[in-house]
Amino acid sequence: MAHPSQLGFQDAASPVMEELLHFHDHTLMIVFLISTLVLYIIMAMVTTKLTNKFILDSQEIEIIWTLLPALILILIALPSLRILYLMDEVNDPHLTVKALGHQWYWSYEYTDYNNFGFDSYMVPTQDLTPGQFRLLDVDHRMVIPTESPVRVLITADDVLHSWAVPSLGIKMDAVPGRLNQTAFIVSRPGIYYGQCSEICGANHSFMPIVVEAIPLKHFENWSTLMLENS
Amino acid sequence: MSLQKPVMRGLLAKRLRFHLPIAFSLAIAAALAFKFGVTEPRKKAYAEFYKNYDNVKEFNAMREAGVFEGVRPSGE
Repeated sequence: MAHPSQLGFQDAASPVMEELLHFHDHTLMIVFLISTLVLYIIMAMVTTKLTNKFILDSQEIEIIWTLLPALILILIALPSLRILYLMDEVNDPHLTVKALGHQWYWSYEYTDYNNFGFDSYMVPTQDLTPGQFRLLDVDHRMVIPTESPVRVLITADDVLHSWAVPSLGIKMDAVPGRLNQTAFIVSRPGIYYGQCSEICGANHSFMPIVVEAIPLKHFENWSTLMLENS
Repeated sequence: MSLQKPVMRGLLAKRLRFHLPIAFSLAIAAALAFKFGVTEPRKKAYAEFYKNYDNVKEFNAMREAGVFEGVRPSGE
């Protein structure tokens, strides 16, 4: 989850998010390069009264300041496309979970083997127990196995919502009448938080997402228990 | 004896010839500083973290702390 006065991304918990972090670092490095160059040139130009009113053209500099930006764009585009296609790979998921957005809660359905599902409401602030996070914790988390490819099918029941978990590098719109698919692998056990990312009414800020990743054996025990209770 | 005629042309060009290499050098220095100050340490940090990461040990520690909903501590 995010911590106070955080500037950067949350720690990555999936391979895709790690790639996105490194890509962002690469692109930000290029941004700093260009910004430093432009800022220095601006400072050099505003601190002089010298001018040259007679420059008409210059083929050499035009070539330089066309080719250099083109090269920079290629250096950004190649890793970007690589990650784009990486994110699109759906490598034979072990599990499919359906996430439905409602006003104002999420519901999850596990329908691979036997059907069970549950609603996931935010824990109201007055009902928080010690150790729970305000506006982030939910009554029933989406539990998934670690180190297993998981497919999530996302849709909505009423208005637009968006299912997002920053530390897993996921954000996918929940559109009524449409099924959006995304897939991820959680690298390590833990609890990962996200919040609805598409304005959906009064309680848009109060329908968080919590993904709990536990080893497969424990996940199977949990899903058996959920089936018996449903 | 007369004074030498002062340079009256090409002053802006001279200024650019002086400042542009500095601008490019500073820009590349900023990029290298970011690369070796942030990018490479971050890659190394992730590699180090996962090199000896024991999934089971970490999971058990979290489980015993009672943070999971899907699995309770072993005592319960």
